[in-house]
Amino acid sequence: MAKQVLSCTVNDEPAEVLVQPWDTLLDALRERMGLTGPKEGCGTGDCGACTVHFDGKPIASCLLLAMQARGHSVRTIEGLGRPGALHPLQDAFVRHGVPQCGFCIPGVLMAAAALLTENPRPTEEEIRYGIAGNLCRCTGYTKMLAAITEAAGATAGRRS
Amino acid sequence: MSSVMKTTRDVKGIGLSILRPDAPDKVTGQVQYVADLNPRGLLHAKLLRSPHAHAKIVRIDVSRARALPGVRAVLTAADIPVLKKKAPTRAHAVLAIDRVVFAGQPVAAVAADELAIAEEALDLIDVQYEVLPVAADPLESMKPGAPPVAELGTEADTSEALAHGSVAGVTTEAKSAKAVNISQQARLQRGDVAKAFAESEVVIEKTYRVPMVHQGYLEPHAVLAQWDSAGNLTLWASTQGSFNTRSEVADVLELPENRIKVIPMECGGGFGGKIRALCEPITAVLARVTGRPVRYVMTRREELEAGMPAPQVIIKMKTGVKRDGTLMALEAEAILESGAYSGAVLAVAGVFLASLYLWPNFDVKGFEVLTHKPSIAAYRAPVAPQTIFAIDSQMEQIAKAIGVDPVEFRLRHLQREGDKMANNQPWLSNGAVEVLTRIAEHPLWKKRAEWKASSKDGKLRGTGLSLGGWLGGLQPTGATVRLNPDGTLQVLTGQVDIAGTNIALAQIAATAYGVDIDKVKITTGDTDVAPMTGLSAGSKSTYTVGVAVMQAAESARNQTLEIAAKELEASVHDLAIEDEKVVVRGVPNKGITLASIGKKGNLYMSKVEPVLGTSHPAFSVQAPAFCAQLARIEVDPDTGEVTLHNFVVVQDVGKAINPLQIEGQMQGGAVQSLGMALTEALLYDDKARLTNPSLLDYRKLTSADLPNIETIIVEKPAPHGPFGARGVGEPPIVPAPAAIANAIEDATGVRLTHLPLSPERIALAIASGS
Repeated sequence: MAKQVLSCTVNDEPAEVLVQPWDTLLDALRERMGLTGPKEGCGTGDCGACTVHFDGKPIASCLLLAMQARGHSVRTIEGLGRPGALHPLQDAFVRHGVPQCGFCIPGVLMAAAALLTENPRPTEEEIRYGIAGNLCRCTGYTKMLAAITEAAGATAGRRS
Repeated sequence: MSSVMKTTRDVKGIGLSILRPDAPDKVTGQVQYVADLNPRGLLHAKLLRSPHAHAKIVRIDVSRARALPGVRAVLTAADIPVLKKKAPTRAHAVLAIDRVVFAGQPVAAVAADELAIAEEALDLIDVQYEVLPVAADPLESMKPGAPPVAELGTEADTSEALAHGSVAGVTTEAKSAKAVNISQQARLQRGDVAKAFAESEVVIEKTYRVPMVHQGYLEPHAVLAQWDSAGNLTLWASTQGSFNTRSEVADVLELPENRIKVIPMECGGGFGGKIRALCEPITAVLARVTGRPVRYVMTRREELEAGMPAPQVIIKMKTGVKRDGTLMALEAEAILESGAYSGAVLAVAGVFLASLYLWPNFDVKGFEVLTHKPSIAAYRAPVAPQTIFAIDSQMEQIAKAIGVDPVEFRLRHLQREGDKMANNQPWLSNGAVEVLTRIAEHPLWKKRAEWKASSKDGKLRGTGLSLGGWLGGLQPTGATVRLNPDGTLQVLTGQVDIAGTNIALAQIAATAYGVDIDKVKITTGDTDVAPMTGLSAGSKSTYTVGVAVMQAAESARNQTLEIAAKELEASVHDLAIEDEKVVVRGVPNKGITLASIGKKGNLYMSKVEPVLGTSHPAFSVQAPAFCAQLARIEVDPDTGEVTLHNFVVVQDVGKAINPLQIEGQMQGGAVQSLGMALTEALLYDDKARLTNPSLLDYRKLTSADLPNIETIIVEKPAPHGPFGARGVGEPPIVPAPAAIANAIEDATGVRLTHLPLSPERIALAIASGS
């Protein structure tokens, strides 16, 4: 099978890359576009490390074929914020000392960011379920909860 | 080594929750793991793995795979002359020769232009197997006549045992008895056990069982290999110890160590599973054969089926006490299932079982047993959670049986500093009493009767606690500290920083030298440039490398002061470092900046030596570290479901170098411990094939399963630790299984002895009233 052209929007910029028909969106982002922030922890949608926003909704990018993203908008951790201009969630994760090994962190942040867009004032339980699709083996989640809770307040505060 | 440097003012160094400087890169996806590297000309590797746990390889035909366009190499064991038929360790079993001994064992390797081509090539390799009988259960495998796992009798591999533990100080013996699958045996005895049991008034006998579990790091094993034209190999590795990786690869491939450079990339979790070499040798061979960079990344399924999990541990335990609580005798038999290759830390199990409490008479036997499963490796405090589950559950039951307070009972019999452990070594200074006392003061413990009484809606409430710990690892290590021409400090070690140890080491350097942390930069060097540095394992990164960094910084400070003394024509004893200047005490306005001392060390024609502090200590004194945990739970007796309402971790860290990072260690370790307690198990069928090879079926705890983990830090200084610090990483994974089992008994009255404490097990136990 010949390679196909994937045209979509990635991190607010138009993107056009050649992908194999069997490439997942995660493959396309990591191997064809050099966006290695999303991680592959399982390849079967169980760990959440590959979470990106697809038209604003959090998805496991390892479960979507790349060509299914044609014409859609994708946001990866690289498009959430950058060193020096961190998203409030990223800033809170740094200040709360959340990252240890760091491998799950991009996925957790994308899940949390999507949660706060949909629900700017989540309860503790809503946050716990909001990131329940993201496995972390280092932190025990406690500091993540604190950071997301604080960022939720900060985000809502900025809007008002 | 515990000396605190005198600085004339408090610098920003140890004791503060300083943020990791690499955290912004971690939260923006900028840090690089091995799988993120994509050099020009990269090839992708895949391994063909055996579907059978035990089989003879009759024939392998790779011709169709080699003919596939885009395939650059297809290798079998026959193509790699250095491979030995009898692989002494798992790392040496690069590709199977003639026989496979576990399902998932690599049989052939492919390198191709694209991963999909490599995967397709695997389907084109024809292997004819003759399936052989399988040893799937350790208790069966121990018996004479069981299907043999090692071909020529078994060889003990105690290197892991030595690594961790020297920890134990017990020698284990290689065993080549008729029971061919018993690969190590150990025995610890004291007193007259038979007589003591005869005089005992309360005897309790139970069998505890903890299944194989996976370390569960989120980043699967990954390595990138590339050779230069002069025959030097570079490995970009996800490893807990780059020098260890170098040694193992050199040994397997018969290469000089100085021809291999291991670059430790960001490591996405290890927990003991990334100490030993696994996929590095085959990737190096593929890179050499193809003359291209080759990257190999394990899939999650491969990780679960053919990683290096923790052993299954089965402990038969019998205890005898007097009705007044006097301990009489302990008898235990610990069976550690090691999979297809030897390597369990048998001695540690024995020592933990008989050394935590003062048993005047004991007889502890340990057996390492081989089965046709993937061989095991360390997992955060190897075998401590399993053995503490047994001994602490037993102590709780004894206290209940004789009607005494369980905390007082433990405190009464806990071995103290100077008491003889089972291996006759004295216990070193530790905070076991302090953490247990502290957790018993917690309101959740004091109000356990109220919590139990508040049970409603048919649910049952209970509280449980447990005490566990780790003896502390040791390994020689090295560090250098340089003064730069602008007065900043440069710290270099080979320490792989997984959990935030580099910021703690930088804090130690700051305090020992006498500058603020923002003047210190720390680098993890590769094996070509860094001083020899030990593993990031054994709760010893800060305890040992911290000493090296502290001493190197002290040396750099002394060199700095000597240079300043000459420049200022003052005595070294009158000098101090303040605000990035060396000043003369009591003489205002007389001083020299660190920058000018640094500059003089790098000036053309200068006669001032550059400041270079070095330290390369070896160690002989461990620092045991203890942790107590408390669980407040609710059990649904109909479904067996456990809801965790509160969980408390109290841990002695000696001196909290960076409290924020330590809390993270305590919380993460506790949740791994809870996973072992409640949900995790690698499940095998009777053909020794894994039946749950995905993260959907190998159930780790999620944020929705847990409450916040409360942490309480206790500081009882370790006499030889840097500024009194002890190891932090391992103790928190130890106590939860016993704490949860104790809480379940408090809630329901049933005692469970097999992990995980799953809803099914709990509901069945309640239904049968056992």
